Amino acid sequence: MAEVIVFYSIASLLVFCSIMVVTRKNPIASAIYLVGALFLVAAVFAFLGADFVAAIQVLVYAGAIMVLFLFVIMLLNIDPELLKSPPMTAGEAAVLILTILSFIVISVTVFKGQLVAPVGELTTQEIAKNGGNTAVIGLALFMKYVWPFELASFLILLAIVASVVIAKKDKKKLTGDQADAERNMVGDLR
Amino acid sequence: MGLSLEQLTGWLAGVDEFWIQLAATIVKFIVVLLISLHVPPLMVWAERRIPALMQRRKGPNRVGIFRFRLFGLMQPLADTIKLIFKEEVVPDTAHKFFFHLAPVFVIFPALLVITAVPFGHPVTLGGYIFPMSVTRVDVGFLFVLAISSIAVYGISLAGWASNNKYSLLGGLRASAQMISYEIPLGMSLIPIVLIYGTLDLNEIVMQQQNVWGVFLAPISFVLFVVCMFAETNRAPFDMAEGESEIVAGYLTEYGTFKFSAFFLGEYVGMFTLSCLAATFFFGGWQIPFVSYETLVQISGSSLVASLIGMMVLLVKAAFFMWLYIWVRWTLPRFRYDQLMSLGWKFLLPLALANVVITAAVLVALQASRL
Amino acid sequence: MEQQAMNPYLPVLIFLVFGFIFGCIVSALSWLIGPRKYNKSKHEIYECGVPMVTSAREKNSVKFYLTAILFILFDIETVFLFLWAKSFNKLGWFGFVEVIVFIVILVVGYVYVVKRGALEWD
Repeated sequence: MAEVIVFYSIASLLVFCSIMVVTRKNPIASAIYLVGALFLVAAVFAFLGADFVAAIQVLVYAGAIMVLFLFVIMLLNIDPELLKSPPMTAGEAAVLILTILSFIVISVTVFKGQLVAPVGELTTQEIAKNGGNTAVIGLALFMKYVWPFELASFLILLAIVASVVIAKKDKKKLTGDQADAERNMVGDLR
Repeated sequence: MGLSLEQLTGWLAGVDEFWIQLAATIVKFIVVLLISLHVPPLMVWAERRIPALMQRRKGPNRVGIFRFRLFGLMQPLADTIKLIFKEEVVPDTAHKFFFHLAPVFVIFPALLVITAVPFGHPVTLGGYIFPMSVTRVDVGFLFVLAISSIAVYGISLAGWASNNKYSLLGGLRASAQMISYEIPLGMSLIPIVLIYGTLDLNEIVMQQQNVWGVFLAPISFVLFVVCMFAETNRAPFDMAEGESEIVAGYLTEYGTFKFSAFFLGEYVGMFTLSCLAATFFFGGWQIPFVSYETLVQISGSSLVASLIGMMVLLVKAAFFMWLYIWVRWTLPRFRYDQLMSLGWKFLLPLALANVVITAAVLVALQASRL
Repeated sequence: MEQQAMNPYLPVLIFLVFGFIFGCIVSALSWLIGPRKYNKSKHEIYECGVPMVTSAREKNSVKFYLTAILFILFDIETVFLFLWAKSFNKLGWFGFVEVIVFIVILVVGYVYVVKRGALEWD
């Protein structure tokens, strides 16, 4: 009984935060609501017993990626006055209505119990027997999924190189006053 | 009274374990909250008396209640009362909602992290085992790191919401500093996980019975202490609140109790990290050369032995808090680019090398044992 | 009644809510209790006593973006290392070599970043 109350309160708060993300005019407000939403997603994960994923969600997504988002929004420093959007067109209104309808259809299907996923072999008891979430995921990652793991490191390398290339201008071509001016130039992501 | 002890225990035996654990958790939380909320006033007092002693002068010693001056311990109380009753000035062009919200993001991570710290050996009372940390999560380490990364938002929000370019710059720089030092902080803890094989903080303390962590992972300890100073924006890394630099940085527009709310968050964060340093490297609540069983035999009760452990942990945390103050008033402040260079170019490779070397040593030991 | 152990994350949730409410109370305390006398110059933005020269809504440097994105990437690396460290005992030499490969690839990226000077002047 308590579980149901806890889950529904987290879930309704999550839906509220998500709606706030897309309806705020101020981008920083959207970012903060998104942080809250991601934190609540982590709460749902923890509630389901996936404690490792919950911790990682907060650590990486809500704690690192959203910091990046926030930094970029603060860097760009756009005047909120310029962000006022024009009234909704007919196409956009149609898409909105379609989304709400599909949401209703999906919720009814889920409530009736017709969307059931098969239960795998990794139940909570199995995981607890094998040393907890982190151990199970770690062993699987390093024994069975070695190649995806190494590929992931390549992906990270790619991201490092790409971000430096995008954000950093080649300094060798500039000298003297021009170099000073370029160094102090602001926000130009060439 | 009509209720005898047997009747009480008989009734308690019938109650779900769930409610008993929940009640115990709430009791633990109240105790931990009271301890950690008393730390900031004590730190404010220590922050002014200890440098006074170091600089051969007396610190504040005038404030007293009914002539009890108590070495100036009433000073923080007087400061707090004054700050609460002053007028709070919110700039007209500031963003009201985030201006008020920012201190919250600084306070609640610090309070949440301290719930994972084990204050003593699990207590056995009446057939139930109560762990002496407010929450006992299996991924203790990651929980600690994850919640600490939320504290970054408080500072950047505070800087941005003030609508003051000095605040914004100070807030961004402080946030950049905090995130830069979170990586060496996390990486310095990986050798601890390698050595003890667990992410649970209670387990780590229990395994430090014979040898403290600092002897097994000394480089990790040094890294952790340096990152500890940088994470809490404390000297010599206090560029963000540098008193002579960009006014007060992200705190410029904050006055009265919100101002002290930031410091509350900072001091509780310092206390939390001190407890964590004691937990990972100095054996937590373990007394050297005295095992838990001996304590139970001496004191006759599991609860008293664990409370002794808690006192020991607080003494060790107090050592680290004193270290904070000592370092602040001894070392000059880093320049910002020096600070970032230190974090990225020196500490990060050092932390990585530390991980690799520790792992290599452990694998070699494992192989030689087989 | 059956013995039902407490989900270890329930206290976390309770204290999350409590910590948040406590923070809100602390933040609101002086705003509620203190006096309120409106004076225009008191409520202006502080710029060492002179009227504001430029608005705060200027673009800032791109160094912060670089720092944040490098932080994300090395944070992900730290997460993988934590995963490995927990199962270290069972993985032995094989896991060690795997992780060395992982770290070497990332060190290549790190060296590139340092060489390119992306970590300067911040």
